[in-house]
Amino acid sequence: MFYLIHIAIFCAIYGILAISLNLVLGYTGLLSVTQAAFYGLGAYATAILSTRFNLGFGESLLIGIAIVSVVSFLVGLVLSKLAGDYYAVATLGFNVIIVAVMLNWSALTNGPLGIAIFSKTTLFGLDFSSQPAFLALALFLLFLAYGIGYYLKKSSFGRVLKAIREDEKAIQVFGYNTTKYKLVIFVIGAALAAAAGSLFAAYISYVDPSSFATNESIFILSVIILGGLANLEGSILGAIFLVLLPELLRFVGFPEAVAAELRQAVYGLLLVILMLYRPQGLLGEYKL
Amino acid sequence: MFSQIIINSLISGAIYALLALGFNLIYNSTKFFNLSHGTVGVAGGYVVYGLAQLWGWNFYLSLLIGLLSAGALGWFLNYFVFSALRRQKASNMTMLVASLGLFTILQALITIIFSSQFQILNQSLPQIYSLANASITQIQIIIILVTLLVAGALLLLLKKTLFGKMVRALSDDEGVAKIVGLNTEKIIGWVFFIGSAIAGLAFIFQGLDSGLEPSLGLGLLLKGVIAAIIGGVGNVYGSFVGAFLLAFVENFGIWKIAAEWKDAIAFALLVIFLLFRPQGLMKR
Repeated sequence: MFYLIHIAIFCAIYGILAISLNLVLGYTGLLSVTQAAFYGLGAYATAILSTRFNLGFGESLLIGIAIVSVVSFLVGLVLSKLAGDYYAVATLGFNVIIVAVMLNWSALTNGPLGIAIFSKTTLFGLDFSSQPAFLALALFLLFLAYGIGYYLKKSSFGRVLKAIREDEKAIQVFGYNTTKYKLVIFVIGAALAAAAGSLFAAYISYVDPSSFATNESIFILSVIILGGLANLEGSILGAIFLVLLPELLRFVGFPEAVAAELRQAVYGLLLVILMLYRPQGLLGEYKL
Repeated sequence: MFSQIIINSLISGAIYALLALGFNLIYNSTKFFNLSHGTVGVAGGYVVYGLAQLWGWNFYLSLLIGLLSAGALGWFLNYFVFSALRRQKASNMTMLVASLGLFTILQALITIIFSSQFQILNQSLPQIYSLANASITQIQIIIILVTLLVAGALLLLLKKTLFGKMVRALSDDEGVAKIVGLNTEKIIGWVFFIGSAIAGLAFIFQGLDSGLEPSLGLGLLLKGVIAAIIGGVGNVYGSFVGAFLLAFVENFGIWKIAAEWKDAIAFALLVIFLLFRPQGLMKR
């Protein structure tokens, strides 16, 4: 039971991350490979605020989202000048920089050793530390993320995003300021990823830079491409599938170090096969 | 101190230049960012490590096999993945994501076979020379000289030979190149072979000078990509100049602050260029 709830919590965390990236890549067509950076910033915000300032989960979550919103706004401003391959490489670069900051700003982040959190997960005075309660919290946030995604998809805002993806020049002709739209969705995506990071930090009670490296961004990318671009249910499905897959590999009985690498290899293979045979993923509505 | 920084910049500039040259060559003919390029080179470096150190083969023979196997691996990936994607008229984003997938697979396989430990390719202590209050090893001199040689040879190949003419025709317009009867797929295969072998050379040098680890594939390649972008994507001279500019900025940047910030300095330079001079130093 402990094990099943543990997996369910991870499915919820990756579900939120997948929705956050799908808004940016699936709906708007921006190939961002930096979601792990915002995920990590959210996680570090919770870790630092709860160990140094004794703040509860709710406060640290909100402050984390606020910090990430500001950072992603500034990054988005730089990115708004770029498109296509250059956009992808610049986002990848931002991820590398964030990990370098986490590793090197030891006074704040404790460097490669990471930060252990000893306080309980409390939200508005209620204790969410027990596993079932935490699962409820994670599912609630997943539901919220899904709701935000669904609302955006149905709104006129979402239609403009899809138009940007299909033909940015054409929608500009109609007088839409596409830079503004791309910036807003980038910040919303980053803020959702930060929320997932807060959940991760509170659940694992430990953060270190290695969890937020570029590999993690590529993993989130494979989740949404597998599930399907521009499909929210697909994102959740992809998250469940790719969280469960390594658990199955675990039962095959490879040594731990080999299993971890084998997992990476399987994710990579999945990406290549999808690109070759089904670039829109399982339920996708958009091809890269 | 000052002369040592210059020497250090020249050495890292040489390795960035090799990566940028190969990356640029492949980008020119295929028009997508191949992010598996670095890890293909790492595989070549590990072949040398495996043959020369684990099996005790002759070093120069291992070196040759390492270069050839990096080239062959690049050719192979192109043949089975990128070429197939091109046939489906896949977008360059699809190609980029596929190359990320290949990068992940290769890095994982290398780690499983050789472990993620840092490996140094030469076991003997290197011969050290002093030069204007700074020191430089014999290997480092070889790295700089061979890089100049490779860049010159590549330039000659592209500008003076029939093959180079075909590659240039292909990078100008693939459609027209096909119409006039060029076997573009075959040329692209050779381009992958040459570019990947050069990447192999870069990582063999890296392994000889400081050391190899699987995760260097993406990290060092990104430096090569930055060098290619700030030099002007598609321009051979540009990649070369960009690589040394990047290395000098990095090494002088860490004069006063901690060396761990090197990557951040490199990406800051990239962002500055993308914002103010997106076409790079030299136009195509």
